[in-house]
Amino acid sequence: MSKTKWFTICLIILTLLLSACGQKAAETQEASGVPEEPSTPSIVKIGYAGSPDTLNPGTAILSEAYVMFELTYSALFGQNLDGTYSLDLLDSFEVSADGKTYTFKLKPGVKFSDGTPLTARDVVYSFNLYKEHTEFPYMNTYTANFDTIEAVDDTTVVLTLTEPVPSIQYLTTFLYILPEHIWSQYTGEKVGEFPNSEMVGSGPFILMDYAQGEYIHFKKNPDFYGGVPKVDEVVFQTFNNQDALVQAIKTGQVDMITEMPLTAVASLKNAKDVAVAVGAPLAPDISDIIFNQADPENCPEGGVCTGHPSLRDPKVREALAFATNKQEMIDIVLLGLGAAGRTLIPDSLLPWYNDSIEDHPYDLDKANQLLDEAGYMDSDGDGVREMPDGSKPLILRLNYPSDSTVAPRLSELLAKNWEQAGVKLEISALDPDALTSICCPTFDYDVLIWGWGSDPDPSFLLSVMTSESIPSGMSESGYNNPAYDELYQKQLVEVNPTIRKNLVWEMQKIVFNDTVYIVPFYAKAVQAFRTDRFKGWIINQPKQALEDVTSLVVVEPVK
Amino acid sequence: MKRYKYLLSKVLWASLSIIFVMILNFFLFRVLPGDPARAGVKDPRLTAEAQNAIRIRFGLDKPVINCFESINPLKLGSCLVNPLDTQFFIYVRNLLQGDLGTSYHTNRPVKDMIGEGLVNTIILIGFGQMISIFLGMALGLIAAWKVNTAIDFATLGFCLVAWSLPTFWLGIVLLFTGSTWLGLPVVGKFTPGGGLATGLPMFLDVGKHLILPTLTFSLIMLGEYMLIMRSTSLEIFSEDYILTAKAKGLKTFNILKDHVLRNAMLPMVTIIALNLGFTVAGAIQIESVFSWPGLGLSIFEAVGRRDYPMLQGSFLMIAITVIFANLLAELMYSYLDPRVQAI
Repeated sequence: MSKTKWFTICLIILTLLLSACGQKAAETQEASGVPEEPSTPSIVKIGYAGSPDTLNPGTAILSEAYVMFELTYSALFGQNLDGTYSLDLLDSFEVSADGKTYTFKLKPGVKFSDGTPLTARDVVYSFNLYKEHTEFPYMNTYTANFDTIEAVDDTTVVLTLTEPVPSIQYLTTFLYILPEHIWSQYTGEKVGEFPNSEMVGSGPFILMDYAQGEYIHFKKNPDFYGGVPKVDEVVFQTFNNQDALVQAIKTGQVDMITEMPLTAVASLKNAKDVAVAVGAPLAPDISDIIFNQADPENCPEGGVCTGHPSLRDPKVREALAFATNKQEMIDIVLLGLGAAGRTLIPDSLLPWYNDSIEDHPYDLDKANQLLDEAGYMDSDGDGVREMPDGSKPLILRLNYPSDSTVAPRLSELLAKNWEQAGVKLEISALDPDALTSICCPTFDYDVLIWGWGSDPDPSFLLSVMTSESIPSGMSESGYNNPAYDELYQKQLVEVNPTIRKNLVWEMQKIVFNDTVYIVPFYAKAVQAFRTDRFKGWIINQPKQALEDVTSLVVVEPVK
Repeated sequence: MKRYKYLLSKVLWASLSIIFVMILNFFLFRVLPGDPARAGVKDPRLTAEAQNAIRIRFGLDKPVINCFESINPLKLGSCLVNPLDTQFFIYVRNLLQGDLGTSYHTNRPVKDMIGEGLVNTIILIGFGQMISIFLGMALGLIAAWKVNTAIDFATLGFCLVAWSLPTFWLGIVLLFTGSTWLGLPVVGKFTPGGGLATGLPMFLDVGKHLILPTLTFSLIMLGEYMLIMRSTSLEIFSEDYILTAKAKGLKTFNILKDHVLRNAMLPMVTIIALNLGFTVAGAIQIESVFSWPGLGLSIFEAVGRRDYPMLQGSFLMIAITVIFANLLAELMYSYLDPRVQAI
């Protein structure tokens, strides 16, 4: 009797489970099979490999947060995918003859998403907020040259600068206009702690719902002044697993993915209703091979400057550049999805990228010849060269951050390449923080593989190689060239775009010829979207970012 | 009286452990190299002034404790500072007021972040543990009853294989197969943007999202429970009282339920309690494979960003869970086995 009871219970549970499963299967079929009725909102679902750190534009650091700000806030200028700028909140602007006074005319009738009108006073409030809060990581670097900001009337703002700037567009493109009536309730330290969970702004999208690290959900702003988005809603869903991203787009759970493992590209290209888009990233990360050039005679405070003496000889660095097979690195590390690098200024940073620089070809004979000429011979026949005075073999420590996905293979290829030029590498991965502590301004290393995030303006990347950046730890190479420093200061205040471009190009030439870094490649952005869901994704532009506002305001459902 | 004393000593030890963890947590993360003002950010735009301002905002400009520098507690500094104005004292004071601080990374109260993560983790672990405990015990019991038969070998083999699979690998395999064949979701705990349904549809949606991570978790945990249950039951089967029960003509089911299961519970309770404590943080791999927004994932991120308040808060929370789970197990012993309290 009890045995049968036991079986009955099991049977009931089994039936329940099966029916639940069946029901679910039926549901999913229904969802994909029945065409959408016009009344259901069109929702773009984005599989996102990150999530914003905070929605407060003042304290945000991650680029993911800026993607959200671009959707919900207006700025004076907007950034285009070809490196140019267009008017966003502005109708027009004028600049005085001395380049120090800008008069901005705002578009009339702009409203925040809570219905309050956006006036010149909000612009003044926002700019002053960014300027006053030195604990905001980035914002006050843009406002450093701002002297006074005044609202003349509801739609006119006058900005005076302490000195002329090359690009007011760049300086103001990330200065999002916040509603004064909400933000002015918070003062002092409280501003940084304000979670801004409503995100009241005037951009093309309005925040609906947000769960930290899970998803962020927007709806279109029907009153947007610059062309209302064609989709009703946008959801960014955070994925912590890139394989899951690929699986999600294959199975149609998301409509677009912002990243993927490069190994998945081939299989996604063959997947049904999925298109893979490859282009230069909007905000590229540049990998670099860094030589310790800090001089022990002139070591910065707190530094030890134990770099291998040979690396302070430009001939050795040049020889190592000839001994570096960049194409092999691109083929193996990036599976071909990249272009050979020159300097820290990447190929997508138009018009600042100097494409006239002739790259060192991979030439081992030339590398060996250069090292022989400079006196670095292998006197004891162990396959490793020694210093010209025979004192120290060319055995270099190579460190890279343990969280890097490219560095492990890159370093092995490098070791293989350089060994053939008689230079031996001792490779070890380090925790990024440990790496920072040996890097700079300590200079307790020989060679590093690391990278930089980039910015639309070249100044920041160029500043890394100035001697001014050595004591602060921003310069990882310890490179010191007064001629370069002078050009840097010049371009910083050059108002004429053509002259500035020439200065920037000249600077790239200097650091390339001195082989301050070897930049192995510029990686491509690889993204994918469903072709059966939405159309109009912006591809084939100099830069690619399908998650950027530029695409999301124009995509529309496939009928 | 003895029982009361036993209880009191256990509770006392538990509280001492928690205080020790509180102090250790504070220094542990600060001994690590690295600077929270720069961790996770490698951007030339972050100027030295901005970094200093960030340090001040986090309170990291103050000395760790008297006689030591800020940031690194291994470097000697001035002893002539107001002890009330050191990081350690502020930490203890806030903790006593129930304030776990504000996350450096998200600028949100750590208490909220841990709360959200913990709820999600408990949902995942709770279902997974329940399934694996019940199934593991049932399979173990059956295998022991049918020892050295095909049923025994099959269950044993299956459980051993499942137990020895790498968690992330099993997760990814299930993710691929489950999403391709059954159309199961691969990310998060529910579908955002679906009008945020409430009630039954919402419940079903969460359930659908739970299937794959829970299955992974249960399969991995199943083996341990099954093996322990099987070996304990085998021992019990050889006891004289089982023979007596059989001789009395009791039904098989009753023998298993009343005589074997009850006696096999002791080692099971130990292992369940231990696992409950550890799995709060131990589901990191499953949480990252399925992007399940649990506590393990937040801790993993906090380590990379040197988010001291988040790390301190969550490690304290985990320590408390482990200590309480152990305490609970010990209290359970005295209930299950009256001999224990005599210690």
